[in-house]
Amino acid sequence: MFVILVYDVNVKRVVKVLKTSRKYLHWVQNSVLEGEISKANFHKLKAELRSIINDEEDSVIIYVFRSLQYSSREIMGIEKGGQDIFL
Amino acid sequence: MKKTIYIFNDGQLKRKGNTLYFESEEQKKYLPVEDVGELMVFGEVSLNKKFLEFASQKEIIIHYFSYYGYYMGSFYPREHLNSGHMILKQAEHYLDEEERIRIARQFVSGAARNIRQVLRYYNNRVGGISETLNRVDEVIMSLDDCHDISRLMAAEGNIRDRYYRVFDIITRNPDFPFEERSRRPPRNHLNTLISFGNSLMYTIVLSEIYRTHLDPRIGYLHATNFRRFSLNLDLAEIFKPIIVDRVIFSVLGKKMITVNDFEEEGEGIMMKDRARKTFVQELDAKLKTTIKHKGIGRPVSYRRIIRLELYKLEKHLIGEKFYEPFIAQW
Repeated sequence: MFVILVYDVNVKRVVKVLKTSRKYLHWVQNSVLEGEISKANFHKLKAELRSIINDEEDSVIIYVFRSLQYSSREIMGIEKGGQDIFL
Repeated sequence: MKKTIYIFNDGQLKRKGNTLYFESEEQKKYLPVEDVGELMVFGEVSLNKKFLEFASQKEIIIHYFSYYGYYMGSFYPREHLNSGHMILKQAEHYLDEEERIRIARQFVSGAARNIRQVLRYYNNRVGGISETLNRVDEVIMSLDDCHDISRLMAAEGNIRDRYYRVFDIITRNPDFPFEERSRRPPRNHLNTLISFGNSLMYTIVLSEIYRTHLDPRIGYLHATNFRRFSLNLDLAEIFKPIIVDRVIFSVLGKKMITVNDFEEEGEGIMMKDRARKTFVQELDAKLKTTIKHKGIGRPVSYRRIIRLELYKLEKHLIGEKFYEPFIAQW
């Protein structure tokens, strides 16, 4: 499945959330990551994030898509990050 | 399915923040370690032991290619699927001449029948191949009478020879004549494409073997020797016509690669980076393409079909089900 993860957390935990998410997803722009992920890894990612964030102050939203059919991705301005199989 | 990452630029690969990190002059990029299955390295990339340890732990294979685009070797991490039983069975089937031929014959027959499918398709489209098609059919019929490996290899060589000779009719591109098969180094443009595609195919199959219990060092058609992996060469025979060759026809047909994308290098012809990228992109897209699988009844990618092929071989080795190669239906 494909997910888009956005977060808005206290600055103390920003780096931790970013680093954790980056193990599983591609960084797109500040506080946004996306990518294909397996169910098992999705659970792992959520468990790791849950142990980092503070439920009172932070917010993480994950949009889940079964597939990318019927979707398109448009970019305005510059492309900061994203997925690329070529380096 | 985990991604294959192709590195063409020069730079450094690192372990950083518990994930993969690539740094070059133009870019700094994190790669999600959980989403990477293998790395194909074409550029001058430096890395350290810490990185290899991490790759090993995450079961990521690293294949590297020389400046000329030739396969140089792989970082094959510690085996993670251990099965003494499977290795014994694999060796047993290799040592028993009768059994070895039975498996090798399936590989040759798979390769030949897939070649046949490609020829049949182009015979309907451009014509003029029916004679070759008949000859290939005859050789396929005669495979059952081959009782030693060298005869089998000869039959396979015969088919491939005839097959390559109609490449000019198929590609209809006067800039890319086949002439003759030349290797190390390839002496014309088409041969360079074929060699490049085949070596990518060998590494892809090797990566898939790593995800099964099979040992890539024991092959059946290609003799097991002291040099390198051979099981991946065997399996690749089946997929070369339907994957690599079709990609070649497609990039040439759409003029995505032209003679300007090559340069002479000593005795051989070499692809420029842009052409390599284009080819790799098309091949990667091909491997991701899904087709409806007859046995499973749902769409599977070509890459998955390669893995399924290995599972079928495993079943054969443990005596569950006789191995029959995958034949494209279109």
